[in-house]
Parts: sequence; structure tokens; C-alpha cells
Amino acid sequence: MVIDPDTDLVARVGKGDRAAAQALMARHLPTMLALARRMLAGQAEAEDCVQEAFLKVWTHAARWQPGKAKFETWLYRVTLNQCYDRLRKRPTEPLEAAANVPDGADGPDRGLETAALEVEVSAVLAQLPERQRAAILLCHYQERSNIEAAEILGISVEALESLLARGRRTLRMKLSHLRDGAM
Amino acid sequence: MGENERMDDAGFTHEILKGLPTTMVPATLAARILGDFDRVAARPSKLTAMLARIGERLWPGAPVWQPASVLAFSLVIGLTAGAILPSPGTAAAVSDQVAVAALDATPDMDMD
Repeated sequence: MVIDPDTDLVARVGKGDRAAAQALMARHLPTMLALARRMLAGQAEAEDCVQEAFLKVWTHAARWQPGKAKFETWLYRVTLNQCYDRLRKRPTEPLEAAANVPDGADGPDRGLETAALEVEVSAVLAQLPERQRAAILLCHYQERSNIEAAEILGISVEALESLLARGRRTLRMKLSHLRDGAM
Repeated sequence: MGENERMDDAGFTHEILKGLPTTMVPATLAARILGDFDRVAARPSKLTAMLARIGERLWPGAPVWQPASVLAFSLVIGLTAGAILPSPGTAAAVSDQVAVAALDATPDMDMD
């Protein structure tokens, strides 16, 4: 039996409780949006993707069966599947376009260095195969454990570690020049 | 690839990604998502929608309770009538049985 902190909220959402929907959204929206934004390298598309994922939550909440899987794991899967769909529908774009990441967090206090780092990292992330990108983001950006990330991706921990090793290697090879500036 | 190299790659990746700025959630997105929730919550269930469709066919333009009441009333009348009144079929069966019994019975007559 999986202990899921969201069970009660999901059950209430299924009964049409708006406050529960708001609480569930507040708990998961920032994480899902951040993941989608890094997966898709675009703010507007990430927002649409997360909106669709939450629409699935609202429509399926009444039929949610607690104990099978954690709600968060399911939500991660739904969000990632939305991202994969969008990536597959996308025409191949040049690297420069992928690197042009519109920012949802622009503010006067944000340094140019951070912005430059983000553009460069996003460009290299965009070059990774989607499964490697998802594995890297789940483990290093969202700090999920290997077991959780493997469950989200529906693969074994060994397969996840293989994706991670290849993804990390590529990132390090392509971004090693940032070492002095970013680390 | 050696174990040390793997550890270096992992450390490098972790620090590079940790340096990325956090993503702010725009208020408009939260409003859009809650708007979706309101629409889904206001949507009638499949059973309600099916009943409404049947009602619309039976009594176009009327509120659902009107055809539902008429159907329920008809059901009550039908069940009451069925319980109280004997059906013509049953009566026929009884009379057939009488006829059969009459034919099968030993002739009750004095042949002498």
C-alpha cells in the first residue's frame, strides 16, 4: 500500500471541491511547470502542457483509486507524456531557436549571467534525446530519487542509470566551459 | 567510463542544473487551470446527461422532472393494475384447463 499525501485532496477534487483543487494545484503546479519548461524549452508551450495535464486530473479525479500508485507519480507521467506529444509534433528546429527560452521569471534582480547560463544549458538539454532529458531533469533538477524517477518513466532503475550516465556525459562535454563561471 | 568520471559527470550536472533560475507560476495560468476545474465540475455526470437526453426526446423543451414524473406515474399505474386485475391470458388458460379436464374426465354417464 502506497502512502500518498494527496489521496484526500484528490478524493475531494473528485467530489467537486474547488478549495481542494486549488490546494492540489498549489502543491504541484510549480514543479510540473518547471519540468515542462525545461523539457520543452518554452514558457507558453509548457503552460499549455501543464494546463492539459491538470485538465486530466480534474476529469479523472472521481475515478482515482488510491493505493495503486502515488498521485504525484501519475501526474509526472501525464505531464511528461504531454511534453513528449508536443516534442514529437514539433518540426525540427535549429539549435539557436531551441536556445531562445522565453522566461517566466524575468525580474530586475535576475543577473545576466544566470540568463546566459539558462540559454546555454537549455540549448544543450534540447539536444538530448527526450528520455535522457527527462531522466536528467527528474534526478538533477527536481531532485527525485532514482527509484522515483524510474517509476515515473516506467523503466527499471538500471535503465534509468544508463540514461543518466549518457545524458550527464553529453552535458559535461558540451558545457564544460561553464565550469569556471557556474560552479 | 570509470567510476570517478561518472561521479564527476553527476556532480557537474547537478551543479549546472541547480544554477538554473526557478520558474514562477503566472497568475493567469493558475486562473486558466481553475477555470477548467469549474467547467468540469459544472458538467453533468454521464447518467444525468443520458436521462436529460431521454427526457428531451419524450418531452422536448420541458424540465427533466416532468417526463420523469410522467414515466414514474405510468409505472405506478401499470404495476397497480398488474397486481390487482387478472390478466385476460390467465383467464383463458383457466377456461382451457376446464375444457381439457372436461374432455379427459371419465364419462360420467350411465350406459345402461
